[in-house]
Amino acid sequence: MTVHDVRIEVTPLQTEGMRDVRGDVVRRQLIADHGIDVGIVRSICGYLIRSEYDATSITPRIQDIFSDPIIEFGAVDTSVIHDSSFFPQTPSLSVTVGFKPGVTDNPGAAANDGFQVLFPDVNAAISTYTTYVFTNLPETVDNAWLASTLHNPLIERAILATRDNLSSGNASVITFPERPTIVRQSPSIIDLEVANEELIRLSVDGLLALNLTEMQAIQAHYRMTEHQTARHSVGISTNAPTDVELECLAQTWSEHCKHKIFASKIHHIDTETNEDSIIDSLFKTHIMNPTHDMAKEVDWLLSVFHDNSGVIAWNDDWSVCMKAETHNSPSALDPYGGAMTGIVGVNRDILGTGLGARPIANTDVFCFGPPTWTGELPSTLFHPSRVLRGVHAGVRVGGNESGIPTVNGAIVFDERYIGKPLVYCGTVGLMPRRLADGRESHEKNPTPGDAVYMVGGRVGSDGIHGATFSSLELTDESPSSAVQIGDPITQKKMMDMILEARDACLITCITDNGAGGLSSSIGEMAEYTNGCEIDLGKVPLKQEGLSSWEILVSESQERMTVAVAPKDTEAFEALAALHEVEATAVAEFTNSGYFHVKHGEETVAYLPIEFLHDGVPQLELESEWIPPVQPEFNPPTSLDNTNLLEEMLARPNIASKETWVRQYDHEVMAQTAVKPFVGKERDGPGDAGLIAPIHGDPQGIVISCGIAPRYSDIDAGAMVTAAIDEAVRNAVCVGVDIDKMAGLDNFCWPDPIESEKTPDGKFKLAQLVRANRELERVCRAYRLPCVSGKDSMKNDYGVWPNKISIPPTMLFSLFGNHVDVRNTATSNFKQHGQRIYLVGNCKNELGASEVAYHLTERNLAEGIGGNVPRLPEPERQLDIYRRLSKTIQDGLIRTAHDCSEGGLAVAVAEMCIGGRLGAIIDIDGIGEGDAFSRLWSESLGRIVVAVDSEHEMQFIEAMSDADIHLIGMVTDAQNLIIEDGYDELIQANVTDLTKSWKEALDMTGGV
Amino acid sequence: MSDNVRVAVLFGFGINCDRETAAVFDMVGGSSERLHVNHLVQGNRSLEEFDILAVPGGFSFGDHLGSGRLLGNRLRFALREQLQKFVSSGKPIIGICNGFQALVKTGLLPGPENASLEPDLIQRASLTLNNTGRYEDRWVTLEFDSDSPCIWTKGIQRIECPVRHGEGRFVMPTDVELDRLSTNHQLTVRYVDPSTESGSGLSDDLLPFPMSPNGSMRNIAGICDPTGLVFGLMPHPEAFYTMWLHPEHTSMKLNEDEWEGSGLQIFRNAVEYVRSQR
Repeated sequence: MTVHDVRIEVTPLQTEGMRDVRGDVVRRQLIADHGIDVGIVRSICGYLIRSEYDATSITPRIQDIFSDPIIEFGAVDTSVIHDSSFFPQTPSLSVTVGFKPGVTDNPGAAANDGFQVLFPDVNAAISTYTTYVFTNLPETVDNAWLASTLHNPLIERAILATRDNLSSGNASVITFPERPTIVRQSPSIIDLEVANEELIRLSVDGLLALNLTEMQAIQAHYRMTEHQTARHSVGISTNAPTDVELECLAQTWSEHCKHKIFASKIHHIDTETNEDSIIDSLFKTHIMNPTHDMAKEVDWLLSVFHDNSGVIAWNDDWSVCMKAETHNSPSALDPYGGAMTGIVGVNRDILGTGLGARPIANTDVFCFGPPTWTGELPSTLFHPSRVLRGVHAGVRVGGNESGIPTVNGAIVFDERYIGKPLVYCGTVGLMPRRLADGRESHEKNPTPGDAVYMVGGRVGSDGIHGATFSSLELTDESPSSAVQIGDPITQKKMMDMILEARDACLITCITDNGAGGLSSSIGEMAEYTNGCEIDLGKVPLKQEGLSSWEILVSESQERMTVAVAPKDTEAFEALAALHEVEATAVAEFTNSGYFHVKHGEETVAYLPIEFLHDGVPQLELESEWIPPVQPEFNPPTSLDNTNLLEEMLARPNIASKETWVRQYDHEVMAQTAVKPFVGKERDGPGDAGLIAPIHGDPQGIVISCGIAPRYSDIDAGAMVTAAIDEAVRNAVCVGVDIDKMAGLDNFCWPDPIESEKTPDGKFKLAQLVRANRELERVCRAYRLPCVSGKDSMKNDYGVWPNKISIPPTMLFSLFGNHVDVRNTATSNFKQHGQRIYLVGNCKNELGASEVAYHLTERNLAEGIGGNVPRLPEPERQLDIYRRLSKTIQDGLIRTAHDCSEGGLAVAVAEMCIGGRLGAIIDIDGIGEGDAFSRLWSESLGRIVVAVDSEHEMQFIEAMSDADIHLIGMVTDAQNLIIEDGYDELIQANVTDLTKSWKEALDMTGGV
Repeated sequence: MSDNVRVAVLFGFGINCDRETAAVFDMVGGSSERLHVNHLVQGNRSLEEFDILAVPGGFSFGDHLGSGRLLGNRLRFALREQLQKFVSSGKPIIGICNGFQALVKTGLLPGPENASLEPDLIQRASLTLNNTGRYEDRWVTLEFDSDSPCIWTKGIQRIECPVRHGEGRFVMPTDVELDRLSTNHQLTVRYVDPSTESGSGLSDDLLPFPMSPNGSMRNIAGICDPTGLVFGLMPHPEAFYTMWLHPEHTSMKLNEDEWEGSGLQIFRNAVEYVRSQR
């Protein structure tokens, strides 16, 4: 059979009313990001088809699949750029971007699927590319720079053709990405009977991310006679590990999978209090124990910590779970692919919870460098605006194509995230309490003999070493194989199929393939039955020739591992076939006590389950708290607060993110009762997401978050307090059921282990200790169990002393019950005459506030030091929240807004923007401190509400002894006036405020 | 014949509004079933079992090679006869968002020149990238042609509901073809300026973004075929089945019996139409 390569190029028609939007978007984004207008940009989509069909066979079908007969022109085996009816003049430049070999090409896969419909049973491979044609490029624009904005060399190829190339006919064309043939290497035996230096070298060179103690623990394992005897019986090297085993241990014992820092024994010294103590596991002490204590008091905590996400009973019929993950390192290397795999990855955590939950909502929280950054940038890092665009696009495509609404999120900016962006992706899941066969769906129940299927995508060389890589700091030598692009449609098909399999009671155990690949997924599931036997030879591959260890640890995406009882395998496979999902039995559960990996007949790994999961030695770390010294924040006395308000509203941390957030589908599933943007023009800020996922039933689920990394500059403990309180405040603003809320802690820290590369490790660890102690204190007081969490502990870029470390950052996500979504509140003022109350007190807490950073960055203040917001009486605070939430549930309050970044002034301004209404506010007597601090301080526990006069007395009664202050009234004048007694502090036009707030981060470059 | 109105709601391959679309048909007295496309393709199920076909929104095949195109091809090549028979026997079909895109690309919409002709599955229009170049989720105001033969939209004048698409710009090659649809009253539903009076909002003049979220020719949001049985639209009426999904429900004071969303009537119309034909 002859194999042909056929090229198809498609470009938009230029007839009346037709546009080349794809090209024009390039022009607009370059204007928005760099202020450069490159003139008209045209686009060409290309397809390289490798199959048994030649151009003659494909040409008649081109309009059936590749080009739309109404809007596009398609050509076979010619370059459209040379077609004078489309390009009458030779263009200035064309940039053709295609994938590198082995990189996931989703359009190519879809085209191949479509090709099979026309040519059934054809054996084809299709690769795609895009050509951007600059018809009249200004000479000032550098070609190489322009190309660099259009592709990521880590995963893509770019071919440039200048006007000279094009007119002389010597422009090179892109060709099919040839994947080099690889030959499977037989497992090698690694000799561990070597000097310590050599053990370390093995770990470093092999990207194992294991320290000396861990390498020695592995060494010791292979010295024990009992293990040697057992190994002999299965015919594997008796006294030394195979590369498969070493890789498997490195994955399972990675910081990413084992959370060794959170599990470590910490010697903590506090120079302020003279404390000198030992903490045996921050996780057990401050996160797990409090939750287990709370579990004794409530009946709705169904599953915490041990599964892929935490599960709570929502009502008698349904349970709800939630998980949040980070995908920071991959997003730094390839913002688009890294972020997409982040969101589709956490969707799989939900699908892998219990016997399978259905993802019903996503949340996204990003931390980036300032998008307007003009300072220095290491050559290996992307500009923050590029990171923002890429990450946003990845999450948008991942979430939208999966049909899961994005209901809540945040974007935070700080210079230190230039080194490593933080990409938090969360997902909420829903599952029936019981399946048709009576099993509780939050519990897995595999038995020895069950078949273990790998379902979904195939295994490739992409994604090898993701888990160990993310446990190392980012350098310019970070491997490209750690980067992958998600394939949401393959995953969506798999998700549809698995949920049907669950409802047909075909699943006994399920987990996702994320970090560590099959070694982690099957390895973790094997703990249930105490053993498994895998045959790597059965694993479907994207590419032949992968070695055993690569197949075992590859993190290729879109895969679930599912256990099925032998009686159900036939039905399971039939269901997979219907959905066109690949499902292959690759292993079987046993009770042998061993993680037994074969490749065909040959045993390539034989590790005791106990050693695999519990063999990693506990780290012992040093922590020392010396409070950081920050120059005191002393704002100038002669500030124009009206101007300052407009500037504050345009601060990236405060400004509207609407143009970004609107690109997420937040309403698919027809359940979103409070949307990300609210109010008259639907552009006021939503405080929390509220969904009613059972169609027709008004019972809801609240989803909110809190994040406050700035406060870590004074105290990481205060940072955590503020994050938790913010998440709770946001939830209260929509009327959450305060007695049924659960939280997720996602820590992102710089490396806190003292070493040559991290001389300040003790301090960073002390920050972590303080953060955890506050987490416990506040969560216990708020009766808010943390049911799932995650940590990412190496968020640094570069090498000391030129290392950029992120500010210690914890995202707190919250999900809780809502009694009836018909009674909820939104932030926008509703009508003239509403009375405005502040719930809570203003305190003089301007330390590390947004206004302190703003004025310090403008050299109008010395520094950001001072009192950071604290929460001295969380129990009392909870009572206030309970009362306020009840007034919303009772329908008394329909307007409430969280008071956080930028303090009271910003909160009230946002309420005016949302309602397109004015307000007159008096801040006299609402707390301690001068007028400036009452305007801008970010004291916790505060919510601004507006109440219709007919409900005012009931509201006051309901709040009883809680601190509430009448601060003003809503007006239909388009002005926000804020006074302090007789002094007018702010008089601002609502239209101006709206403009400041909405334009700062628009970045669309026009319609 | 029983009172049962059986609705096939397609799913699979990235369709993702199947659950809510099935739910709204059930709410108005239909009896829906989420049916994987391959059940029909493989022939173990048949469209004949159903009275109504719904092709919901989503991202079938990731919208690669053009939204709805690959799903459209599966329908056009694998289900050609079933679909023709379904329409010829007078059974209603709705395509919402990605489903609309698929119906346009199969050629079921706008369909042949007049109602007396059999559906020929020839593509005559398209839906292409929004002028903004962005996928967006936002609420729009829609107004309906009261003279449209569309059985789905009887009695509905103006509603709000969300659009959620990146490729919703309706185009046809020439004005002649648009004029024909207009004369036939097949331009069933269009984006309108919410400040106009209900009933007088329809206009051929292009509305600015975001009133027209995509720059559609003649502000077209949805069309029907000449028989009025096949209807497709980019906005999501199923996502406004209840008032608590309205972006401003916290500004409204509604009684217990006022919570039905105005998107639901579209589905009720079809279920009642099927009953009326028995």
